[in-house]
Amino acid sequence: MSWLGDLDKILRGEATRLKALRRGRIEVRVGGLTVILILLAMVYGLCIGSFSVFRGGSEGFRQLGASMVKVPLLFLLTLLVTFPSLYVFNALVGSRLILSSVLRLLVAALAVTVAVLASLGPIVAFFSASTTSYAFMILLNVAVFSVAGLMGMAFLLQTLHRLSLIVPEPSSHPDLEAIGEEKAVQTVAGVGQVASPGALEPVDDRALSRHVKAVFRCWIFLYGLVGAQMGWVLRPFVGNPSIPFTFFRPRESNVFQGILTALANLFS
Amino acid sequence: MTRIKGRNQAQSRSAAPFSQSVLDQANDVLRGRASLRHAWLLIVCGLAYGAVMGSHGGRPLQAVYSAVKVPILLLATVGLSLPSFFIVNTLLGLRDDFKVAVRGILGAQAGLTIILASLAPLTLFWYGSSNDYNSAILFNGLMFGVATAGAQVLLRRTYRPLAARRPWQRWMLRFWMLLYMFVGVQMGWVLRPFVGDPGEPVTFFRAGAWDNAYVIVFKMIWKALAS
Repeated sequence: MSWLGDLDKILRGEATRLKALRRGRIEVRVGGLTVILILLAMVYGLCIGSFSVFRGGSEGFRQLGASMVKVPLLFLLTLLVTFPSLYVFNALVGSRLILSSVLRLLVAALAVTVAVLASLGPIVAFFSASTTSYAFMILLNVAVFSVAGLMGMAFLLQTLHRLSLIVPEPSSHPDLEAIGEEKAVQTVAGVGQVASPGALEPVDDRALSRHVKAVFRCWIFLYGLVGAQMGWVLRPFVGNPSIPFTFFRPRESNVFQGILTALANLFS
Repeated sequence: MTRIKGRNQAQSRSAAPFSQSVLDQANDVLRGRASLRHAWLLIVCGLAYGAVMGSHGGRPLQAVYSAVKVPILLLATVGLSLPSFFIVNTLLGLRDDFKVAVRGILGAQAGLTIILASLAPLTLFWYGSSNDYNSAILFNGLMFGVATAGAQVLLRRTYRPLAARRPWQRWMLRFWMLLYMFVGVQMGWVLRPFVGDPGEPVTFFRAGAWDNAYVIVFKMIWKALAS
């Protein structure tokens, strides 16, 4: 339960207040958060795969199981593949974040993404039950993933920004730490913002620093690209009811062609 | 305002006639003083309008089916949309106001059914004066449109003080409307028929009804453009 509490703290923005970030990292249990992340991704996999159960008959349950495995895999494998390069770029650009801070930040951003994804799951399941069009389901899932991804990106950008505002003090100087903390609280209250900003809200009027922008752009580019390709490699998630079940599809074309084909199919 | 509310509560608890307390409570909802204890109004008024809507062609069974469907339509739509609304509210730091927002949403739903119930005599009059199935559907669509607009007004009233404190709330209201409409349209489509074609046998679900309203609309637009 307390793992869920960690997720809740992240979603409410408590874990990413300036005060909570004063050690230069998000204070959550990465392991527990990862377990929650996997569970929530499986919930969404259940919703996505339910289409083939409603449409596919006996083979539908195999697709359901496959989807429940694939959605968590999509996020974790993408993180695994990109994490080393994400960290190296971050260091190159001159950010102060250390390895464990980067890991915590990325896992937290993924947790936000997956939480939004899972919360949209009931709607996807409802449409799965009441839709016969495979193309519509593909496009709905693309839309849902985009919304969740944008939320995760907003969280990442805001938290990077907040981390850049923190001057990390070694904990051996309690006095200095207290001063830094006070200053941080003052900056928040000083510009007339609400005292407890949400996880996606800017904490003050200061512009994003060059470092933050550069790191953010690198990460989004890399993670987005690898993630899109990973999603394409792990196909099918929804399961075309007119083709027999396969765990993987043959390697062909790419994700953008796939979306365009689905759009064309919707209209024909 | 609390004084008036207190008086109303006292009245509804006293031995006042049942119809009086219904009117009082409906009045509370319409004046933006809804709370959870008004949820039963949503069911009762929804049932009432549904029964009237299904009475087209004078088939009692269709009236029963339609009566049941109206509360299901509203509650299922709200139920499916709430989880993501909750998460997005939390992410934007609006968790503290979430209770108020949900109360406003439920109040707006109750208001919607109260408005529908008040329009029921008009629907009956329309059914009495015209026997055409298509115009009956259009007329009911119009009534739902009016009631939805009324519910919008109620919800906006709830959101005004919230938005004054946190500007993000304005976006939350829009997000809710988008989510609600997106799910609601499909829910309405799945739960067809509400009026019931007099030329067909009475059914709870229409045969082959499990299709997607949006796909059908896309295809219609595409056909119109292609021809």
